[in-house]
Amino acid sequence: MTRSVSHIYLLEVATGVGVEAELRDCIEEAQLIDWQTKWQPILIAAIKDLSRRGVARAQWPQSWHWDWRAKIAQMEGLIAFKGFSVICADVTQGLMRVDLNGLGRAPGQEGKPLVYVDYLEVAPWNRMDMGQTPRYKGVGTALLSAAVALSVEEDFRGRIGLHSLPQADRFYRDRCNMIDLGPDSGVQGLRYFEMTPEQARIFLKEEDEV
Amino acid sequence: MPKRTMTLNLTDAEMGALERLSVRKDLTKTAVIRQALRLYQTVDSRIEKGEKLLFENDATKEKAELMLL
Amino acid sequence: MRLERSKKWWLARARLEADTTIGAGLLARDPEPEEDLEPSVTTAVEETRIAFGRFIRLMRRRRGVSVEQLATEADLDARELLIIEDDVHYLPEPRTVFRLALTFRVSQQLLMQLAGLAVACDPQLRREAVRFAARSEPVQRLTPEQNAALEAFVAVLSQQDPKKVT
Repeated sequence: MTRSVSHIYLLEVATGVGVEAELRDCIEEAQLIDWQTKWQPILIAAIKDLSRRGVARAQWPQSWHWDWRAKIAQMEGLIAFKGFSVICADVTQGLMRVDLNGLGRAPGQEGKPLVYVDYLEVAPWNRMDMGQTPRYKGVGTALLSAAVALSVEEDFRGRIGLHSLPQADRFYRDRCNMIDLGPDSGVQGLRYFEMTPEQARIFLKEEDEV
Repeated sequence: MPKRTMTLNLTDAEMGALERLSVRKDLTKTAVIRQALRLYQTVDSRIEKGEKLLFENDATKEKAELMLL
Repeated sequence: MRLERSKKWWLARARLEADTTIGAGLLARDPEPEEDLEPSVTTAVEETRIAFGRFIRLMRRRRGVSVEQLATEADLDARELLIIEDDVHYLPEPRTVFRLALTFRVSQQLLMQLAGLAVACDPQLRREAVRFAARSEPVQRLTPEQNAALEAFVAVLSQQDPKKVT
């Protein structure tokens, strides 16, 4: 399988400097090894600590028990699913799996194909909710941009859909200007967001100003 | 991404269906075919695992199985 | 799929992330969290912890005192006591359990096991704990049955435990 690599930049929080990184349209063994040996130990330790300190479960990092090996195995050989990863300093910084079978629900987009984000997760050291300063910012946004770009490439005009992890609701609504279709009772009450072609056009537009 | 070319011969009815889908879905005809292939493969792989594809009537909650060979 | 943008473009978007952790997707498609952690945070522990919280609450109510009053009496943090009574997932501080055992005059070791702080819980204790939890319910005043259940469980916890907890 040929893979594409896009050269991107992340913001290194400690220095405020932009660092080079790669956005790849695949998730390979090296990424799964990073997930298993670098992400998981930190997440498990953090969960144990939160549990010991009596923090309510609702406030635990919400994707801590995701099994990326299982998620990749599920999509083996299926053309409707694609994986994406962000790598910086030779370490996996974020992962995403998308489903091209998704259909729009927003007014005016009903029934039209979109790229549905099955799962999007950034490495624990890049998270804001683990009580420490994150190492890199921009990983989640890079993956989201990949989903929109893929949607454009597949003729879906940039439409994407996703169920937001609760801590990210405001980001999708206010920063990405996605349409908030409200809590989805079929999906544990997570809020469902969609990006229309027009919003996608603005999201990806090449001017320097945001 | 390297692509391979295939010539598709369709009847008038098939081409008509393809054109109508293309309009409804806001997709090129090629994109419709590719989308159909993805959906077919996804559904087929789940049926192979023993799952069933059902339609549910939203009003009555009745479920009907889609028989796929 | 290749996405080409300027460095400025990427960094401007990175800054937009501000205080958010970006994430998306169904939370519960994977196996239950308990399977990933060590035995100290499994459902078996939660079973006895229900009894632990219930026990603390009923003992407090039998004394006719509020959480705050108990906290003062036992030299504890009232907030932690509230969580102990209410949240089965909460792992209490060892000192807290020690102080509660003293206050209620029950075996420290057994209360530690009940709270999930010991490496293993005596199976007999676990059985008694589940029975107690199943028979007792949070109400304003203790019914005679609750009182009886509590008495019976207090007797269990007041036993001197000759076995070492390894």
